[in-house]
Amino acid sequence: MTPFFKRYKLALFLAFKSIIKGNRWTLSLIIAVMAFSFVNLIFTSSIISGVMATLDQQMIDTMFANIVLSPEANEYYIEKVDELLPKLEQLDGVAAVSAHLNSTAFIEYRWKQKLSQADRGKSGTWSVIGIDPADEKNVTSIHEHLLEGQYLDNNDRDQVLLGVEIAGGTLSQTPDFLNLGGVHAGDKVRLTFENDSMREYTVKGIFCAREMQRADHLAFITRKEMASVFNRQVFYDRATQILVRTSDGRGEGGIIPAIKGTGFKGEVRGWDEYAGAQHAVIGTFGVIGSVIGAVGLMVAAIVMFIIIYINVLNKKRQIGILRAVGIPRDAIVGSYLIQALSFAGAGIVLGFCLVNFVVHPILSAFPIDLPIGPLNVKVETGRMVISAFALLMASLMAGLVPAVTVMRENITRTIWGV
Amino acid sequence: MIHTSNLHKTYGHGSGSVHALKGVELQIETGEFVAVMGRSGSGKSTLLRILGLLDEPSQGDIYVDGINIARLPERKKAKFRLNKFGFVFQEQSLVSELTVLENVYLPAICSSHNNEYIDYARELLDVVGLTDRLQHYPGEISGGEQQRVAIARSIVNKPKILFADEPTASLDEESSHIVLDLFSRLNRDMGQTIIMVTHEPEDRKYVDRVIYLRNGAVDLGGAPLSPDLLN
Repeated sequence: MTPFFKRYKLALFLAFKSIIKGNRWTLSLIIAVMAFSFVNLIFTSSIISGVMATLDQQMIDTMFANIVLSPEANEYYIEKVDELLPKLEQLDGVAAVSAHLNSTAFIEYRWKQKLSQADRGKSGTWSVIGIDPADEKNVTSIHEHLLEGQYLDNNDRDQVLLGVEIAGGTLSQTPDFLNLGGVHAGDKVRLTFENDSMREYTVKGIFCAREMQRADHLAFITRKEMASVFNRQVFYDRATQILVRTSDGRGEGGIIPAIKGTGFKGEVRGWDEYAGAQHAVIGTFGVIGSVIGAVGLMVAAIVMFIIIYINVLNKKRQIGILRAVGIPRDAIVGSYLIQALSFAGAGIVLGFCLVNFVVHPILSAFPIDLPIGPLNVKVETGRMVISAFALLMASLMAGLVPAVTVMRENITRTIWGV
Repeated sequence: MIHTSNLHKTYGHGSGSVHALKGVELQIETGEFVAVMGRSGSGKSTLLRILGLLDEPSQGDIYVDGINIARLPERKKAKFRLNKFGFVFQEQSLVSELTVLENVYLPAICSSHNNEYIDYARELLDVVGLTDRLQHYPGEISGGEQQRVAIARSIVNKPKILFADEPTASLDEESSHIVLDLFSRLNRDMGQTIIMVTHEPEDRKYVDRVIYLRNGAVDLGGAPLSPDLLN
C-alpha cells in the first residue's frame, strides 16, 4: 500500500470513529441542518421553476399556442386562410391550428341606463378575437376555464365569450380596474367595433384563465361573426393571426422552418418571442432564485463551518497529540474533510428523500393555489445535482479551513496552550 | 545516539522574553534510561519537547545518529516523530473515540507495511498488562491504565527513543510504580532508550543516569543537585 493510501486509510479510520463515537444529538443536528439547507436550495428553486413553467404554459395554452403566424410587415391580414390552414395541419409536428380575426370594440353593459352619451357607465374598450371555436379548442385551453355559461359554437352569431377581467364582479382578480361591473352569462352587452358597427350580444360564457398577461382581458366571438362585422366577403378568408399547436414534445424550432417552407410570406415566431415583458419578469424570477440559492448555500456553508470549527476547537488538544505522535498532517486534515463530506452527504440524501418523498408528493396532491393558478413544483434533476455538488464543495471548504488553521499552530501551543 | 549542541530556547520578544534553555549540551547513548530533573521552570519539559521535535529551538542543533533533526522540514519531522520517537505525556493523551487497542495501533497504520501491527499492539497491551481492556474506551479505564496504554502506543512503531514527560505526575503511588517498572522493563528487556522528565527524587532509582537542569542549563555535567534544590 502506498503512503498516500495509508494516510487515506488512517483519515478514513479517524473520521469513521469520530462520527460513530461522537455525540448523537450533535450528529443528528448537523445532518438535519445539511438536509434542510439542501431542501431550501432545491425547494426555493423548484417553486420558482414551477412558477416560471406555469406562466410559460399559461401563455402557450391561453394566448399564443406554440407558434404564431402574422401578416407580412406591410399587411394587416393573412389572406387565403382556408387554403393555408390545411397545409399547416399536414406538417409533421403540427397538432392543430386556429385562425384569429382580431379587432377592438367598445363594450357596454346596461347602456340603456346611461343618463347621456357622455355617461360611460359600465363600459370600456377591449380586444375582441374572432375564432373558429372547434379549431380553437384544439389550440388553446380557454374552453377549460369557464366560470359561467358555455363556450362558443361555430354557428354562434350573437354570442360573446368574455374574460373575467372584462366581466368584472366578485370573480375578478382586479375588481378596481376598468370592467363591466359584474356581467353574468345570459346578460346582454353592446359592442361598437372599429368601423363603428354596433351590435348587441348575449354573454354565452365567462372564463378565467388566470394568465398573467392579458388572456382574461379578451372577448371572443366567432370568426364568421367578426367577418360579418367587417361587412366584406373577403374577411371570411382572412386572419390577423394563425396559432399553431405543436405535437407533444415537439419544439417550435424544428417546425418554424417547415411552416416557412410552405411558401407562407408572413412572420412566423415562437410563443416566447411574444412573451415580451412577461418573459423578462420570468427571467428575473430565475435570477432571484439563483440569488436565494446562493444565500442559502452560504448559510449552509457558514453553519457547517461553525459546527466543524467548534468540533475542531473541542478536539484541538487531541489534534496536537495526534501530531505529536507523528500522525501525518494530511491524515488529520483528511479526517475532518471526510467528516464534513459525510455530514453533507448524509444531509443531501436525507434532503433528497424529503424533497422527493415528502414535499413533492404533498405539493402535487395539494398544490399551492397562487394568483396565477395552482403551483406545480418543478424539481429539476440538473438543479438537484448542482445543489448537491455546491453543498459538498461548501462543506469541503467549511471542513478544510478550521482544520488547516489548527494544523498551522505550534504543536506545544495546540496541546498545552504555550 | 542523540546529542545537542548549544541548544537555546527563548519564548517571547524584548523585555518580556523568557530564556528557557541556555546553551544545553548533552549526549545520550543508545539503550540508556535517562531522567531529566530540576526545579519547576528549569527548562525540563522545554528540553524534552525540543528533543522530541514538538517545538523548535531558537538556536542550536540536535543530532540523532548524525542527522541534524532540528533543521528538518515539518513533514520530515512528523515522519521522524512517527517512526523514530515515542511519546508519553503527563496528562491523558489517548483518543477518546478509539478503543484501547485502536489507540495503540493508531500510529502504526501509516508506518506498517502490513496488518501485523494489530497483533503487535495486542502483544504490547499484554506486556503492559491490559489484555482484558482491549475493547474498552479511555473513559472506561483508570488514569494508571491510560498511561500504560499510552506507553504501549509510544512503542508500537519500535522507536529509537521514548520520551516521557512526567508520566507519573497525575498518578497515585501504586500506579506510578507500575508505570516506572514498565519503563525499566522496556529499557532492560528491549533495550529501549528512554528520556524521562520527572521531579520525583525517588524516580532516580529506576534510571541509569540523571541530567540535572538549572535555569535552562545542564548543571555540573550530570552531577546530582542537593536535595533542597530539588525540592
